[in-house]
Amino acid sequence: MARVVGGIGASHAPSMEHIYDAGEEVRESDEWQPLFGPFKDVASWLEQLKPDRLVVIYNDHMDQFFLNAYPTFALGVADTYPVADEGFGARPFPPLPGDARLGWHIARSLVADEFDITICQELEVDHGVISPLPMVDFSEGEGGWKIPIVPLAVNVILHPLPSPLRCWKLGQGLRRAILSYEEDLSVVVVGTGGLSHQLTGPRFGQVTPDWDQEFMRLLAEDPESLTTYTYKQLIELGGTESVEVVNWLAMRGALPQDARPLVQAYYAHRIMGYGLQTFEVAA
Amino acid sequence: MELTQDYLDRLRAVQPHDLPGDLDLFDEHTATRGMRLNKAAYSLKDAHQRELFHHDEEAWMEQFGLTDEEKDLMRTRDWIGLWRKGMSIYVMVKLSGVTDTPLPEIGKQMRESGGSANG
Repeated sequence: MARVVGGIGASHAPSMEHIYDAGEEVRESDEWQPLFGPFKDVASWLEQLKPDRLVVIYNDHMDQFFLNAYPTFALGVADTYPVADEGFGARPFPPLPGDARLGWHIARSLVADEFDITICQELEVDHGVISPLPMVDFSEGEGGWKIPIVPLAVNVILHPLPSPLRCWKLGQGLRRAILSYEEDLSVVVVGTGGLSHQLTGPRFGQVTPDWDQEFMRLLAEDPESLTTYTYKQLIELGGTESVEVVNWLAMRGALPQDARPLVQAYYAHRIMGYGLQTFEVAA
Repeated sequence: MELTQDYLDRLRAVQPHDLPGDLDLFDEHTATRGMRLNKAAYSLKDAHQRELFHHDEEAWMEQFGLTDEEKDLMRTRDWIGLWRKGMSIYVMVKLSGVTDTPLPEIGKQMRESGGSANG
């Protein structure tokens, strides 16, 4: 049977792509090392863990889904996920490998659990997936991507959004889906987005490091307490676009209660509170 | 009573209201108001649309049934005006790309805008 062997919470942002693509020297500069250095620790942790699959809980930024029909939860059931053109030409990465069979199983399990997701046989993934992924898929490089993914998109853009409690429960449902899969696979669940950022209005560029670090502490020690926050509170604490943190909460819901934080890093820089947190699960 | 207190509490909390005036939300009002503008900017995902934008911006705009006011906001790169008319930041980024406008420039205008799009 499949197992959940770890979790990763990571910010996603176009800036992470620009700096990654600028090369190792820029990544290791004084300005960016605080963000990219800890990702190396994640990569070496994963290299030991060698997960067979990554389930990536993220949000799209109107690169796949548009407002004509916006899904609340959408799950990929494809064997390959092309990189979306976000308006500047797609990044030069090969399509990401998927696992359609696992995707379909998760779809059935979630529906059995009364999560009526949108089922996607074709899905282009944007920076919600691929801005952190080159740093966590240790096999990326000349050989291309090697860990197949199953993407799960959450609407954090068009209100009403699924509540933080609902996202937590989605993670718990995802856990049941993985544990009930008959193939012997080890799975790491990834949640991307946040932390604090504000891209609209007079507060453009505001970050709130105290709240970001409190969020990471709560996610580790008392994740269920985060399910009681309303979106109004989350927006006031971290900014309009910071509500992406519910993707982390869903990730945490897929882990056992006693999962322990391992790599923890936080860097408030320019217009983003960048967070990175991995969870280890006892064998 | 079918409409229990628990239900009513959830209904009330499902969408933020009474946010401070300098925080905004993309919701029923913004999405409805901004549909034409968002369709237009979303189209720039497509390389052919970007080509048309560069080649003949007026013809590019014609495709989306924009009002005269919306077209003017586009022509003048009035980011605050576009935002107030309901353009989502996520498609605005695509428009910023095709017009070579760095995000910090949009941010500068946003900071000086002094009020919410929902105000």
